[in-house]
Amino acid sequence: MQLTELVDYAKSLDCVHCGLCLHTCPTYLLTGNESSSPRGRIHLMRSVAEGAAEADADFAEEMDFCLLCRHCESVCPSGVRFGRMMETTRAGLAESRQRPHVEQLARDFGFGTVLPSRAWLSMLAGLARFGQRLGLDRAAAAFLGERGAPIASMPPVPPADERRPLPRYTPAEGEVTGEVAVLEGCVMPELFGRVNRATVACLSAAGREVHCSRGATCCGSLHAHNGERALARRLTRETVEAHEALEAEVGTALPMVVNSAGCAAHLVEAHEVFAEDDPFVPRARAFAAKVIDFSRAFDGEARDRLAARLGRGPARRVAWDDPCHLCHGQGVRDEPRALIDLLPDVERVELEDSEACCGSAGVYSLARPADAAGVFAPKRDAFARSGADALVTGNPGCHLQWHAGLRAAGDDAPVLHLAELVAERLTPTPAGDAR
Amino acid sequence: MDRALLHELRAILGPRGLIEDRTRRVAYECDGLAFERRVPELVLLPADTAQAARCMRALHDHGVPVVPRGAGTGLTGGATPVEGGVVIGTARMRRVLELDPVDRIARVEAGLVNVELSRAAAKHGLFYAPDPSSQRACTLGGNVANNAGGPHCFRHGNTTRHVVGLVAVMHDGEVLDLSEPRVDPLGDDLVGLLVGSEGMFALVTEITVRLTPAPQRVETLLAVFDDLDAACDAVSEMIAEQLEPSALEILDKLTIEAVEASVFAAGYPPDAEAVLLIEVEGSDAEVEANSAGIARVLERRGALETRRATGDEERAKLWAGRKGAYGAMGRVAPDLYVTDVVVPRTKLRELVRRTTEICRERGLKVANVFHAGDGNLHPNVSYDRRDPDEVARVLDAGEKIMEVCIEAGGTLSGEHGIGLEKQKQMHLYFSPADLDAMERPRDVFDPARRMNPGKTLPIRACMETRTRPIAAASSDPAARRASPDAAAAQSTSDRERPR
Repeated sequence: MQLTELVDYAKSLDCVHCGLCLHTCPTYLLTGNESSSPRGRIHLMRSVAEGAAEADADFAEEMDFCLLCRHCESVCPSGVRFGRMMETTRAGLAESRQRPHVEQLARDFGFGTVLPSRAWLSMLAGLARFGQRLGLDRAAAAFLGERGAPIASMPPVPPADERRPLPRYTPAEGEVTGEVAVLEGCVMPELFGRVNRATVACLSAAGREVHCSRGATCCGSLHAHNGERALARRLTRETVEAHEALEAEVGTALPMVVNSAGCAAHLVEAHEVFAEDDPFVPRARAFAAKVIDFSRAFDGEARDRLAARLGRGPARRVAWDDPCHLCHGQGVRDEPRALIDLLPDVERVELEDSEACCGSAGVYSLARPADAAGVFAPKRDAFARSGADALVTGNPGCHLQWHAGLRAAGDDAPVLHLAELVAERLTPTPAGDAR
Repeated sequence: MDRALLHELRAILGPRGLIEDRTRRVAYECDGLAFERRVPELVLLPADTAQAARCMRALHDHGVPVVPRGAGTGLTGGATPVEGGVVIGTARMRRVLELDPVDRIARVEAGLVNVELSRAAAKHGLFYAPDPSSQRACTLGGNVANNAGGPHCFRHGNTTRHVVGLVAVMHDGEVLDLSEPRVDPLGDDLVGLLVGSEGMFALVTEITVRLTPAPQRVETLLAVFDDLDAACDAVSEMIAEQLEPSALEILDKLTIEAVEASVFAAGYPPDAEAVLLIEVEGSDAEVEANSAGIARVLERRGALETRRATGDEERAKLWAGRKGAYGAMGRVAPDLYVTDVVVPRTKLRELVRRTTEICRERGLKVANVFHAGDGNLHPNVSYDRRDPDEVARVLDAGEKIMEVCIEAGGTLSGEHGIGLEKQKQMHLYFSPADLDAMERPRDVFDPARRMNPGKTLPIRACMETRTRPIAAASSDPAARRASPDAAAAQSTSDRERPR
């Protein structure tokens, strides 16, 4: 393997070693080890590229240990694109190293077979629900010990009715303010069908006609983060093509509203997954420019329309926890807060270090449950100090992590997606008629 | 590394407290002085003073040299590993042990990050005054080692003025507990001796500091100049007029460009040749009188515009830009060499010009961002460590800058310490007798010379290249110290503790 393939050497030179990233890094805070910090990891990458260090098992372990939260990018004065560098290195490592046979099989099955396939995802969700109802999940967790922790703390898989797909078209309620597409996602419809439905309900209430394509399943973000570059390219491409097909069918350009911060962070940079000279880049770039997070889908008129539809709901004191791939990946910080502040009967309190990672990090919490729990611990304490009675997030991974983490600590505070929090306050008909 | 020692250290430190594999150790091969590198034999990360003491004892028994390390943000190679030596990092020792808002004292572990202390103190209307630009990363232990400064030390003084107690582990593992805050110590002022000792006397593990009440009012001004000289003159004039802002910083055009391209874009005007960032604090009357005086000077010196921060958010942004300047220079070249010299404030204009010329003559790209109020210059020289010729030119420029500043009545370091970088230049400022005197306390603390060996004090062979300090040659040292300029220049690097 060429070292240049393993390390984005040019990007590693952007780091001037100032160290401002150290104390944003969850793994550095956990260990105090500089090789587990962004500066240290970049130093190792550069050393490997320059032949001053080996790309050995210790190197690979430090790269795997990173949560790819990209908090470091938010504070880097030199503009180092750490997330991109880490994806490059992981892709290089995935090609060059030998994993234990079982682990490799599990990865291939998960990334290559399950995530890209609606049929597999549905079947596994159905099986999981069946297992949960029989109590098999608890048995499996007990059998697996520490590695089984995520199984034990998984929320119940919802019944089949909630797992039904989104309608391909949902009309706007009242006068039309515009047309949008929503990304249904891979895991979202299986575990968070209610969030998808809430997303569509909010958009429709704001006067948006909502389209949903069936042409793609997983967008490839998990693959890109985990070094599965070829699959990431294939799935990203399918997502772009499905959106293009939808636009052709509807006959107009459509913004792509995404309610999963991890997917949106990947898709707003969809073109960067491909090699620079790939002829597909311009199409991916055009698509990327249309991707917006759910919280940003309500501007001007849509916002007023939504506000007019808001009525009373359960009184809640909520804390917004910034998903890493929303605040660091997309620079979105104010819009979710503004949306929450719009809601009747909701008081928002700030969560200390709300931009710090919760330890979910895609499949990280499944692969490294002990580390994920260590990263989560200060978040749980911050939530307890905040005085909030509900936690609001905008990413399915964080949603699961918070749910499991709070339950494990004996806290049954509800965890809600922002769309759910808004939707539970929507009045049945436009406010003008109802009140 | 000796097997028995390894075994002992593993038992003391546990799995994540000891870094043995070479790959991970590579991350510790340098601090901010990137061209000096050496991979340490081991990295030890003790969790508290007791663990640190046991480690030091074991290392003593095996005669292994020790390099203390905070966050590795130092700029002079103070934390560069040494041959056959280990690194002891304080990164896992970052608790606030005690914070007494009434007595305004905090006792903290050495690995606590500077900004975290102010964050903890803010709840009580207090702050920790020394605020190095790296304060979001650097540790209080590192601050103590280098007697660190920062923009607001212009008013509040460097680290040494704020440290009232310490716990340190001696070379043989003995714990020296000086944590009881003593404003006027009985007997020798050991705390004062340890502050600024760059890890050569002992490993500092806990620090007791004085906290400062947040000022009643703070005013932050940004003055825009189309000429760097004029900005320098404005500062000299403010000093002459005895106007006392709490911070007085200059950023030049290249720095502004780098900062404005970064996540810390502060709204500095991109077409300005220089900006002067000024903070005034105190009572309402004090702030108003000071601000009015400052405004008059700025106008006389031709400031194009003076902006006043309207709220805490804008103030924070202006400062974040200043403090992110070092990192932002990574946009210019892969490495950055930050010189740290202090000059008389009456000579700011000529010395800023001269230092800039020195760099340009050597074909180097230089940005100026510095604590103008203290006369503490930081020519930021961008370079690429892969180019040995460029590294040589950088070193040559650094040496020349130190020479001219000392000749002009300045000194070697304002806040970064000496480390490896300025070792050779110690001859320029100190006589052999001075250096001999400095060796003596070192022998008391560390007779075997295992604590951060080879740093700060120059290695003097039989043949010395320079035996006569320049400053002594140019004027009588006693007279030089008595002059007000030199006194001002020395204030930031003062190693003594006036009480």
